[in-house]
Amino acid sequence: MSRVELVELTVQAGRKALVSEVSMVIEAGTWCTVVGPNGAGKTTLVEAVAGLRRPAHGTVSIGGTLVAAMSDRDRARTVAIVPQHPVVPSGMTVYDYVALGRTAHHGLFRAAGANDRRIVESVLERLSLGEFRDRDVVTLSGGERQRMVLGRAFAQSTTLIVLDEPITGLDLRHQMELLELLKTEVADCGLTVVATLHDLTLAGQFADRLVLLDRGEVVLDGPAGVVVRSAELASCYGMNLRVVDVDGADVVVPVRH
Amino acid sequence: MPGNPPTARRTGVVAALCVLGLGVAVVVGLVVGPTSIGTWRVVGSALAHAGLGHSTLTPLQSTIVWQLRAPRMVLGLLAGSMLAVAGGTYQGVFRNPLADPYLLGVAAGAGLGATFAIVNVGNGVGTPSWTPLLAFVGAMAAVIVTWLIGGRRARSGAATLILAGVAVSSLLTSAQTFLQQQSTGSIARVYIWLLGSLASASWHSVWLVLPYVAVCAVVCVAAGRALDVMSVGEEESRSLGVPVSRVRLVVVAASSLGTAAVVSAVGLIGFVGIIVPHIVRLLVGTSYRRILPISVVFGAAFLVLADTVARTVLAPSELPLGVVTALVGAPVFVLILSLRRPVEV
Repeated sequence: MSRVELVELTVQAGRKALVSEVSMVIEAGTWCTVVGPNGAGKTTLVEAVAGLRRPAHGTVSIGGTLVAAMSDRDRARTVAIVPQHPVVPSGMTVYDYVALGRTAHHGLFRAAGANDRRIVESVLERLSLGEFRDRDVVTLSGGERQRMVLGRAFAQSTTLIVLDEPITGLDLRHQMELLELLKTEVADCGLTVVATLHDLTLAGQFADRLVLLDRGEVVLDGPAGVVVRSAELASCYGMNLRVVDVDGADVVVPVRH
Repeated sequence: MPGNPPTARRTGVVAALCVLGLGVAVVVGLVVGPTSIGTWRVVGSALAHAGLGHSTLTPLQSTIVWQLRAPRMVLGLLAGSMLAVAGGTYQGVFRNPLADPYLLGVAAGAGLGATFAIVNVGNGVGTPSWTPLLAFVGAMAAVIVTWLIGGRRARSGAATLILAGVAVSSLLTSAQTFLQQQSTGSIARVYIWLLGSLASASWHSVWLVLPYVAVCAVVCVAAGRALDVMSVGEEESRSLGVPVSRVRLVVVAASSLGTAAVVSAVGLIGFVGIIVPHIVRLLVGTSYRRILPISVVFGAAFLVLADTVARTVLAPSELPLGVVTALVGAPVFVLILSLRRPVEV
């Protein structure tokens, strides 16, 4: 199980701190979403969790092991990332793309084994990608493409998935579908999810916990319902926000002054 | 609208045709020449060498086939396969369709080394054996300098390395040009070397080049799976478990070493390294696990056939091999390009 622990994590670009002194624990089998305005450091924070950015100070550990001490291969078997702007390599089939997720398991010098192929098949089925398996990845629609990228992450068979704005550019139905799919994995398989989301309403509905980030620092960290209704949220965005209860769901609405 | 990527079956057909082409190239390389010797007598002689039957060649014919044509053909196979696979590997590791084996300064360094050896004839370092040695040293030195400038730090991207290669190449090329202009008497020989030729091939040069090509081509082909993963970019392939900077170092080292060995023996044969992998990619799709091994075979056959053209069209004089590779390769490439969808790396 993947309990994530951040201790005084600071990430810098040159001398500028993008994330400073962030400490938190994300329990295994929970969903934690980072929210905040553009430039708050959300992407930097989740990339550091995925080991793609080296901390200037502080540490990230997953399941008790320091991420910085892992080899690339070990890290890829511990945490999978769905990037904000995935590269979609023309000429590759959907099957081959999802199978990239197995690389860290079979290695760079051995072909995928029966177990790897079985896992890829099950991912294709779970994400309803079976009918696209031989299609060129560039021919997929936005929603199909994003499911495929999620499929690659699932194929890594990790217990922690990091997602950076996974629903950007999707229509409402596809947004809900993708998040529901993840929620099922969290509930059924004990997956741990760390995500960034711009949509505060969806963030509040799907995450167990919200972390509000502003200028690289944690402003508020708590249960979704509390963070969404906090005064800090509105002040971070510098605008007038109203929260309306619709059938038990908190809907965040911006209101003109 | 692009269709589905090519299937495994199609790849099999292309691979089979390439192997067939290689067989044809080997026979053509041994049979075609100013002295007419029947195909079957050459084949009979080859079988006799393998212990089957008796050769019907006269001693002179046997010398022509086995001491002149055969080493030239084998060196052509080695050079063609190495240049093609190195070009394909560079295109993959740099994700750049314009990458060729000379990208990081191999050609400029080898050119400077060879020119230095050629213009210093009579000064003790001008004997023929110095030219390949200094070409090899120049090529490797250039790549090492490029690497020290642009590839040492793990975080610097592929673009930095390519730009460092451009800088080193232009510096060394200008030095080479200066050296060449200082010694007008040897310009013709420098020029011939720069255009590449298999004319000076011997079994000696084959044995010198073979170990480099064998090891380096195997390393390049073995990198195919890593290059396939790296088609999603450096950051994402790292997240998938690929040690990107280590793969890049190994691949650049192997491609450069193999190319340097080839170039030192045959000069700067252009076009093979950039065009062969692209032709193969257009035929079998974008996976380097397919492109690289097929490029080895295609490149070998292509260069031997090009060399046959080079030494027969204007016989007894020879066309520069680099001219023929471009003259034959460009129309083939354009044809395939117009039949298939746009090239993407």
